[in-house]
Amino acid sequence: MVLEATMICIDNSEWMRNGDYAPTRFQAQSDAVNLICGAKTQSNPENTVGLLTMAGKRVRVLVTPTSDLGKILACMHGLEIGGVLNLVSGVQIAQLALKHRQNKNQQQRIIVFVGSPTKHEKKLLEIIGKKLKKNSVALDVVEFGEFDDGNSEKLGALVAAVNNNGNSHIVNIPPGPSALSDALLTTPIFTGDGDGGSGFAAAAAAVAAGGTTGFDFGVDPNIDPELALALRVSMEEERARQEAAAKKAADDAAKQEKEMGQTSVTQDVTMSEPVVTSVMPAADDKKHDLTDDETALLRQALAMSMDDARPDSEAGADTDMSDVVAEDQDLSFG
Amino acid sequence: MASVIPRSQVDLVDFVDWRGVECLNQKSGHAIENALKQGYREDDGLHLESDADEQILIYIPFTQVVKLHSIVIKGPDEEGPRTVKLFTNKENMGFSNVNDYPPNDSIVMSQDDLKAKAINLKYVKFQNVRSLTIFIEDNQGGNDISKVQKIALYGTT
Repeated sequence: MVLEATMICIDNSEWMRNGDYAPTRFQAQSDAVNLICGAKTQSNPENTVGLLTMAGKRVRVLVTPTSDLGKILACMHGLEIGGVLNLVSGVQIAQLALKHRQNKNQQQRIIVFVGSPTKHEKKLLEIIGKKLKKNSVALDVVEFGEFDDGNSEKLGALVAAVNNNGNSHIVNIPPGPSALSDALLTTPIFTGDGDGGSGFAAAAAAVAAGGTTGFDFGVDPNIDPELALALRVSMEEERARQEAAAKKAADDAAKQEKEMGQTSVTQDVTMSEPVVTSVMPAADDKKHDLTDDETALLRQALAMSMDDARPDSEAGADTDMSDVVAEDQDLSFG
Repeated sequence: MASVIPRSQVDLVDFVDWRGVECLNQKSGHAIENALKQGYREDDGLHLESDADEQILIYIPFTQVVKLHSIVIKGPDEEGPRTVKLFTNKENMGFSNVNDYPPNDSIVMSQDDLKAKAINLKYVKFQNVRSLTIFIEDNQGGNDISKVQKIALYGTT
């Protein structure tokens, strides 16, 4: 719940006519801006958001930082596309707008959308970045569309110059099946620096994901935290158990090699029988209170890990694990 | 310039409007509170430190109109501030417009001054102070980082 004043810099250059983000880059960007405005104004009632466009005849401030969401959304309509992006002016004017914010307690943040090539030198961007950092302004960059010609490198340098304790981020959103705004939801721009971010962002993320993808085990931790936790704990336990078993197996294998050195028995026999006999007593010694179920499980795990220990089935380890996870999941769901 | 603080002048720390205190180019973890707040400022281990370069801009609003008589700045020999400019009643100052206004007073500090000696200000220029802006322009050693261990303001209300 950071108290923030945010200026959002919109890219309205000619490149925004490109249709690689449905329906056009500009429309996709508008949706993302709307979403960010909503998230910012709802995460704290005193947050303010302002907008400016960076391309065209000149940089134009559409609305100075305000908490009135209607005012922000209204000025998004009827924007003209044209010209080339003037990133440096845009960022500097955004900083000026933030400097004259009403409430000095607000942190300052600039969010820049860049979907066209940056004409400025990397050096210049770094100088601007330093200046922002000096004036304690954070900067988020959303890069989409144009990734060639060192664009990413330039923007990366800009964000790196501003970054102070990880308060500034850069995200690259390539064109894909999910909308630009949806792709943004899981980025640090929405989730914030530390604690799970705003409730709005989380809720919006849940809606966007539709409970199908994006989360571990296909369960949204925000909707059912207990189930998600149970699944995660189960996963961890299983992993720990497998690791322990694998370690034991490795130890035994080493032991066997020694034995093999002494008694020249054929390999297959030693692989299967002595392991079980040698390991089980050790396990029993450690945990006398093992129930029958657990013993059975342990035995199963051991057998599994013995499979892993064989040199030719290393790749099998992962699939085994996912199988087990799937089992656990079913159990939890049931 | 250094002198003893007259008995009639009081420490103005009680009249600082803390919610409005602002410091630009401070390093996180080495914030303005370390140099300005009672208790913290007495501890030499806690200091205010600059971040991107050596300059620091501190804005201190007061809860009432005060008269400023003298200032105490304590800092290490090398990184301690050298040129300090003071402005009164200037809201919205940034690094970009520090040269737009003439400072009410400009101090060049010696290493001796940095050992918490009181520096008298042009008293007539600080008669009607609602807020004070302290601009630390550079430091003794010409380093990239400036450090301030203590700032104390003395005056009357």
